[in-house]
Amino acid sequence: MTKRIVALLLIAVMTIGMLTACGGSGKKGAAGDVVTAEGGFDINKPVTITFYHQMGAELQKILATAIEDFNKFYPNITVKAETMGDYDGILNQIQTEINVGNQPNLAYCYADHVATYNLGGAVQPLDSLIANTEVITRADGSTEVLGLTQEQIDDFIPAFYNDGRVYGDGKMYTLPVVRSTEALYYNKTFFEKHGLTVPTTWDEMETVCRQIRELEPTCIPLGYDSEANWFITMCEQSGSPYTSTEGDKFLFDNDVNKAFVKRFQGWYKDKLVTTQELSGGYTSALFTGESDTGTRCYMCIGSTGGATYQQPNQTNGVFEFEVGMAPIPQVDPANPKVISQGPSICVFRKNDSHETVAAWLFAKFLATDVVFQASVSMNNGYASVLKSAQENPVYKDFLATAGTEGIQAYAVQVTLEQQDSFYNSPAFFGSSVAREQVGLLVQKCLAVETNDVDAAIATAFENAVKECKYQVGM
Amino acid sequence: MAFKKKEATADLTDSSAVMKARNLQQTAARQRIAHICGKTMTYTFLLLMALIVIFPFYFMIISSLKTTEEYRRSVPTLFPMEFKFANYLNVFTDKDFQFWTLFRNTVFVGVVSTLLSLVITVFSAFAFARLEFKGKNALFAALLGTMMIPGELFTITNYQTVNDFGWMKSYTVLIVPFLVSVFYIYLLKQNFMQIPNELYLAAKVDGTSDLKYLWKVMIPLALPSLISITILKMMGAWNSYMWPRLVANDDAHKLITNGLRGAAFVDELGNTDYPRQMAAVTVVSLPLFLVFIFLRKYIMKGVSRSGIKG
Amino acid sequence: MVDTRKQWKAWLYLSPAIVLLLIFTVWPIFNTIRLSLMEGYNSTMAANPYVDYEFPFGLGNFTRVLEYPNFLTCLKNTVLLCVITVPISTLLALLIAVGLHSIKFLQKPLQTIFFMPYVTNSIAIGMVFAAMFNMVIGGSTRPDSVGIVNNILEALGFDYINWTNAGSSYGANLAVMVVYIVWNALPFKILVLLGGLQGINKQYYEAARVDGTKKSRVLWRITVPLLSPMLAYVIITGFIGGFKEYSSIVGIFGDTMGPAGNPYRMDTMVGFIYRAIGKQEGTASAAALILFGIIFVVTMINLAVSKKKTHY
Repeated sequence: MTKRIVALLLIAVMTIGMLTACGGSGKKGAAGDVVTAEGGFDINKPVTITFYHQMGAELQKILATAIEDFNKFYPNITVKAETMGDYDGILNQIQTEINVGNQPNLAYCYADHVATYNLGGAVQPLDSLIANTEVITRADGSTEVLGLTQEQIDDFIPAFYNDGRVYGDGKMYTLPVVRSTEALYYNKTFFEKHGLTVPTTWDEMETVCRQIRELEPTCIPLGYDSEANWFITMCEQSGSPYTSTEGDKFLFDNDVNKAFVKRFQGWYKDKLVTTQELSGGYTSALFTGESDTGTRCYMCIGSTGGATYQQPNQTNGVFEFEVGMAPIPQVDPANPKVISQGPSICVFRKNDSHETVAAWLFAKFLATDVVFQASVSMNNGYASVLKSAQENPVYKDFLATAGTEGIQAYAVQVTLEQQDSFYNSPAFFGSSVAREQVGLLVQKCLAVETNDVDAAIATAFENAVKECKYQVGM
Repeated sequence: MAFKKKEATADLTDSSAVMKARNLQQTAARQRIAHICGKTMTYTFLLLMALIVIFPFYFMIISSLKTTEEYRRSVPTLFPMEFKFANYLNVFTDKDFQFWTLFRNTVFVGVVSTLLSLVITVFSAFAFARLEFKGKNALFAALLGTMMIPGELFTITNYQTVNDFGWMKSYTVLIVPFLVSVFYIYLLKQNFMQIPNELYLAAKVDGTSDLKYLWKVMIPLALPSLISITILKMMGAWNSYMWPRLVANDDAHKLITNGLRGAAFVDELGNTDYPRQMAAVTVVSLPLFLVFIFLRKYIMKGVSRSGIKG
Repeated sequence: MVDTRKQWKAWLYLSPAIVLLLIFTVWPIFNTIRLSLMEGYNSTMAANPYVDYEFPFGLGNFTRVLEYPNFLTCLKNTVLLCVITVPISTLLALLIAVGLHSIKFLQKPLQTIFFMPYVTNSIAIGMVFAAMFNMVIGGSTRPDSVGIVNNILEALGFDYINWTNAGSSYGANLAVMVVYIVWNALPFKILVLLGGLQGINKQYYEAARVDGTKKSRVLWRITVPLLSPMLAYVIITGFIGGFKEYSSIVGIFGDTMGPAGNPYRMDTMVGFIYRAIGKQEGTASAAALILFGIIFVVTMINLAVSKKKTHY
């Protein structure tokens, strides 16, 4: 019986081999730019566009309001918003759908995702749409330019706008929606009591950590949530290579990077710092004292999008301590660098250019509508990407509440204060692998237990690059 | 049942009748003691295993009654300090969760796919267990072979197939692609093969049709396995997640697990409210539990055993 | 014996299963084989309507799998987990099923309890293991607790063991995985074996009782042989499933399949395949076929053994 099966298998393999070898090619036209129909965009032609996102229940309500507002201008564009649970859900769904050309019209995205969709040629470059000067008369009688006016472009915080252009081909693929960054949360009460200064450089950070360790020998002074962010930001701050869209792509195995990782390994060994994975949970729990086992952090570097988790418990309406927020420490304070994170929105190519333009109009609406942006920001502590939002009275009032109580407003404020310091990392097929690998690399190196730390770090770096290259087939 | 006892049995080498009688007496006493020891060990073992097995279920229930703050404590409490029944109320009232719609969809998909799957499985298992045909062994081995390739790789191809069929966002796409399970066919085939062939041949002589024989003899005898399959298949509908999300994520066809993992239990920062989610999970599991309680007696029922070999 | 009418009938009975399997299983398998022979195949690239990517025909994907630096780790974990968990879970399930079958008092409640894991959602099981072994799961924060298992160890006078967190040993990681997998596998096996026990004629036991045969002898000489079709089923499918272990490891260790500071230590073949999907489907397909080869050989051995030992 076995023999017969083996024979069958062999025949199958050979047949398939022949099929594969003969599998002809016969593609494919060049990707064209979007051309709107003659006579311009017809606002009366009904069209349904699908929008994938990962918003939770509260944000979905805000989105529903935004769609209503959008429909006042374009009643014939029906927006079908579908949640995919989380960003990975969006990525997996769309990646599968691209195989049969079923992708939605637009989606919330991170740059790494767009790089993946681009492999399938599925994302619509926005440059020609942005440059389009056609004037549309909307249902309420008002008019708008189909593309973006210079005024609108200037209203974006430049670093966030440029997040759409990190793909190495000079083209613009996304519009930003809201943004967060990392900030240093510190226990203000503790700092004031002991006369400590909030560190602005990594050298100062080490000093403060050692001071705190002397004051509280059982604590771990600093918690850093994201290992990957730490590594990538340190590369940017040190001016050393991380990744590139060209050539060898994975450039992070270099002496500068090994040096800072080794330094932090020393910190970890001296119990000055811990991270999310190494401590086994968001370090904010150590910071707020929610973890009731004694270990405390007095500083925590975490996302401004997670500010509410840095809020200590209240007893009788009084917070256990005051929280201070500051920019993260720098290598060179004169040339600060902080990460930019948060959803962008991309438009997918469709055969029907009417659909593409409708999707673009909605994407543009979400990226430029102050009310939507401010509502999202006030809900989750991400910052609006529009300068004009800060003039909005409701948003202004919200920002004025910044403090331990209004910690989300505080977070938005700190994000906006750093608007000139943001950097963008290149996105390409494999950039998500690089991000994952450097995060694991930091974990590995910090937890090194052998005596020959240098050798262990060198091997870990080498293996991380190898793994990256392997996974993208280089 | 005492599978661990070490007591010696009667010493049968003694030739003296008196000794024999005394020995028999002793043996009886020893056997009684052994019996009690055996029973004690059986119960100890079963109860210990039961404790281990039931713990997750218990944890699910208590977690569903905790407040979010209590759940987040670093040392988990083994009994809620404060009962929050609102978690349960929330399951039915939360507009974002849409319990009844999800529940209806899941029950429909679960029941239809279970029934169809049972029919297909019974006929296939019958063919393999009772009928002779050319290439039977090879075909069966090939079926087993299909279980050996990780199914994750099938997703893209199957997605293309159902898209070509125009089945997207329908009940069909949730039911049809996974109706056949070699796993179940194999299980039932093994069960059918326990039933002696003589019964079938006798039925043939009597002129009983295959279908009648299947219905009157095979199915009642294989009921425990059929019930296992029913429960597993139903559970499949309850737990399926990846495929339904991919092909039918619209409100009209969404299944319960997608609802459980969906936005209703996630706050604006992407963190899950576990107690509320656990309450929903418990409510969702309840019908399955009841179905089992109802079917259990059939699993253990001593079906008429006449003429059944070992 | 084999007449044509019967042949025809057998194929009729099998037709629904065969048609569906051809469409939804065999066709994807053919596709898998095809992709495994297209070097560097990536489905997203292949779907690109504007660029014609070349995927040359050859065995490159297979050599790529073997060249993977952690291939041996994947293989070792896959085999180890399978070889350890299948016998343990089968033996435990057998003892529980036989035990349940032999008692009267408390039989029904105990049966119900052994069924509970079926209706316990996998999300809940993940939470329990977090609590037991001091693991951390998404979104919750419990960095320093020691876990229930360690509390028990402490009560018995042992030292704490770091089960799954940074700095934990391979042995501890493996132990947690074994417990988790056995736990998951138990209820189905118990149910199948309980069902099988119903098929055993009580006369055999009565005969044994009259002879005064030892209970352990009854178990190994009567119950096990008579239960052998079901045991063979449980073991063979257990091995097939065991070689595909993946989601249980993600359930415990997360996507990195290892403790912090030691990612991918518990990586398996399917783990490798899963990561390659969306990036290198050609490699994923080749790895799947290699895994198929391994499972195929093991199953053939299993079948050969069970043919000798099984009594129908």
